[in-house]
Amino acid sequence: MSRQKKGDPIAELRIRIIDYKDEKLLARFISERGKILPRRLSGVSARHQRQLQVAIKRARFLALLPYIKGYRG
Amino acid sequence: MTRPYEVVYIFDPALDEETINQKLTHFHSLVQAPGAEAPALNHWGKRTLSYPIRKKDTGYYVVANFSALGTALPEFERAVKLDEAVMRHLIVLNEEPPTPAQAAVAKSEYEEEE
Repeated sequence: MSRQKKGDPIAELRIRIIDYKDEKLLARFISERGKILPRRLSGVSARHQRQLQVAIKRARFLALLPYIKGYRG
Repeated sequence: MTRPYEVVYIFDPALDEETINQKLTHFHSLVQAPGAEAPALNHWGKRTLSYPIRKKDTGYYVVANFSALGTALPEFERAVKLDEAVMRHLIVLNEEPPTPAQAAVAKSEYEEEE
């Protein structure tokens, strides 16, 4: 059984610069708990993963994305 | 040399728009290079925060784009930091802004999938 090779979802959208204000896009690359998904799961290229990482961290700072999802302390 | 910057402000949701505009004009007067264009403002308005900031669940978002001298920034940021009305701000260099057409295409595509 071979694993299916998936293309880079960011490249498929033809997004050149990942915008940290686009929380709808970024939300697709975080886990149920709000963690950044590893490349191995999301299929994002290394270059785009680096951009995503910065974008997600900026979005978290601006409260567009949660640091921890589903936690009610 | 001026460089393009993008600033996102999160204001206290209790403020009215007029006060916010006044504050924005004041902040931007500190970075405005002589003869430079007025900053492009984009008011997102009140939005729910993903987590509470200063015990508030909403914030008034404003995105500003402008060109400024790097030397003017410390003064600008000091003013923003001291202002109690700004709950949070982020200043980033905007060297290569996405072209609107591209962004629009990308957006419509992934929104269709959902």
